[in-house]
Amino acid sequence: MNDALDVAVRLVIVFGLFLVLPLVVGQTEHKVMAHMQGRLGPMYAGGFHGWAQLVADGVKFAQKEDVVPKDADRRVFQLAPAVALLPYLLVLLAIPIGPGEGAVGQVIDAGIFFVLAVMGVGVLGSLMAGWASANKFSLLGGLRTAAQLLAYELPMLLAAASVAMAAGTVSLPGILNAFEWWWLPWQIVGAIVFFVAGLAELQRPPFDMPVADSEIIFGAYTEYTGLRFALFLLAEYAGIVVLCGLTTVLFLGGWHGPFGGDGLGWVWTLLKTAVLAFVVIWLRVTYPRLREDQLQKLAWTTLVPLALAQIALTGIVKVAIQ
Amino acid sequence: MILAAQAAAEAPGFLSPSGVEIAFLLVGLVTLGAAVVTVTTRQLVHAALWLVVALGGLAVEYLLLTAEFIAWVQVLIYVGSVVVLLLFGLMLTKAPIGRSPDADSGNRPVALGVALAAAVALVWVVVDAFRTTWIDLDGAVQGSTEVTGATLFKHWVLPFEALSVLLLAALVGAIVLSRKKEQAR
Amino acid sequence: MDPLLPPSRPGIPGSGLAKGLAVTLRTMMKKTVTAQYPDVQPELPPRTRGVIGLFEENCTVCMLCARECPDWCIYIDSHKETVPPAAPGGRERSRNVLDRFAIDFSLCMYCGICIEVCPFDALFWSPEFEYAETDIHELTHERDKLREWMWTVPEPPALDPKAEEPKEIAAARKAAEKAAEKAAAEKAAAEAAAQAGLEAQEEQQ
Repeated sequence: MNDALDVAVRLVIVFGLFLVLPLVVGQTEHKVMAHMQGRLGPMYAGGFHGWAQLVADGVKFAQKEDVVPKDADRRVFQLAPAVALLPYLLVLLAIPIGPGEGAVGQVIDAGIFFVLAVMGVGVLGSLMAGWASANKFSLLGGLRTAAQLLAYELPMLLAAASVAMAAGTVSLPGILNAFEWWWLPWQIVGAIVFFVAGLAELQRPPFDMPVADSEIIFGAYTEYTGLRFALFLLAEYAGIVVLCGLTTVLFLGGWHGPFGGDGLGWVWTLLKTAVLAFVVIWLRVTYPRLREDQLQKLAWTTLVPLALAQIALTGIVKVAIQ
Repeated sequence: MILAAQAAAEAPGFLSPSGVEIAFLLVGLVTLGAAVVTVTTRQLVHAALWLVVALGGLAVEYLLLTAEFIAWVQVLIYVGSVVVLLLFGLMLTKAPIGRSPDADSGNRPVALGVALAAAVALVWVVVDAFRTTWIDLDGAVQGSTEVTGATLFKHWVLPFEALSVLLLAALVGAIVLSRKKEQAR
Repeated sequence: MDPLLPPSRPGIPGSGLAKGLAVTLRTMMKKTVTAQYPDVQPELPPRTRGVIGLFEENCTVCMLCARECPDWCIYIDSHKETVPPAAPGGRERSRNVLDRFAIDFSLCMYCGICIEVCPFDALFWSPEFEYAETDIHELTHERDKLREWMWTVPEPPALDPKAEEPKEIAAARKAAEKAAEKAAAEKAAAEAAAQAGLEAQEEQQ
């Protein structure tokens, strides 16, 4: 009974974080993007600086009619948002926020494989949506999504493999237990490759070719309305949280910080994740969208060789210090 | 799945199966069903999506057999990459929504024969190999990454390397094919 | 390489990307330019063309504005009144009295010709701009409304440095200068006369 209660409490906490953190990131994006463009952003909803804007948006989405196009493949079309969103919830379960068993939803032995595998599944949602919408723009968006995923999955995996080699384990808490501060410069190339590839996998600008609004309206999500559309958006922001959390755990030392003992570990994790989320928004505001050929070129001719070089470096250093 | 049924049938605790065994059996049935739908449905993309269900079911079966590493690799490679590639190909061919009446070939009996032969061979080999082996769920984990890695690189290095040679051959073949095409232009 | 093009400096790879990041970060630190209009009124420049105000005391119902208006959006009604003679035994005068002065702001194109053309300074630009209505007919604003707007007309802006001074002031100044000259001349003459008287006395002594 106690075990069941423990599991239930963990699930509720993770679910709560899953609902709250993406909204926080979304609101931060509203505000940061606005100020980077000399604007104020939302100011009214909720009273104080528009803090409840996304809640209001959610209410609006919930009120909208749920439209399924006549020629669409109904079941696949309706299932797609869930397929896009749920994997991120599962991944969040495996990210350790602090040291010890108490600070992770579920310790998973092959943690890296779990998170990368499940994140890859999330993209299936976009593909299903793109195909089932019976819309050429959606189909193009789905194609671009697939092409992007195929290109960027490899560098992401290679970069993660480099950390796993360094730590000698594929478990996320295990990696953090083995972390030393000098891993930061040692794995920095891998970190950048991982982060950039993750951004591309999330289809965040500047890698938002699959939803390029000036060309294909909103890619795979063109036909979606109401709550299902909101779920896709939530998936994107949950993806940001997950990607930043993962980069923190794999490359930035998670709960390790220059000061403050293990008790404050979770603060460090959240802080690093928040900084990375800010960087995600910052990159979105700064850079224009990459063209499809530039996207593929970046993945195959820059990120993959860099990731391989990182793996070689990791191997050499690992052998040297043994 | 057939393996699951037989394993359960041969189990000493067949009349009082544990929760894990029941789950294993049910997931096996779902996987089998999804696999059958995959090859019988006339809707191309649906077939690919049912394949996702079948492969995911297999991953769950691996999990229930405590082979965590294999399970996640299964999801990563098959669901995350192979099926995405498959869908990519289907979308490029502009797979229609709805039934494709021409999505059938005369090879049906042959395919059935091959599938049955493969299934019989696999079931026979696996059942013969693990006839009375039981996984002790309470003991040391037998399918963790460490154990899998050690087994793979201590006892099965030769097949592993042979497999990678096969992949290399496929890679070289692909390059040769694509180069030939370019010259033809 | 084209000699006309500026030499491309190789630079550090990625420096352009860093520059872009710096630009956005700097903008984020700066003050925003958003106008929070309903909460904060905008600071409008002095010659804003918001709406037209009527100073009806100056209006003589000459109808120039109504005739010059390109889209005929000014409505003027008036009648004649007879004013008793100013001096006893004089002739009676007739005077135009304004009955109605309305501007249809659904037609007005804010060209300002009426204001330019008014010879008696009865029409003015007001920066007031919040007069939206829910019905297009209500956009025809009558004289009381136009008069209310008159009180929102700002003082005329200061002249440019070294500009020619306004005609009224120039005329007044000229008049004053003339008067001063005259006074000075008279004074000088008086003084001269006095001086002459003194000299005559000295000579006598």
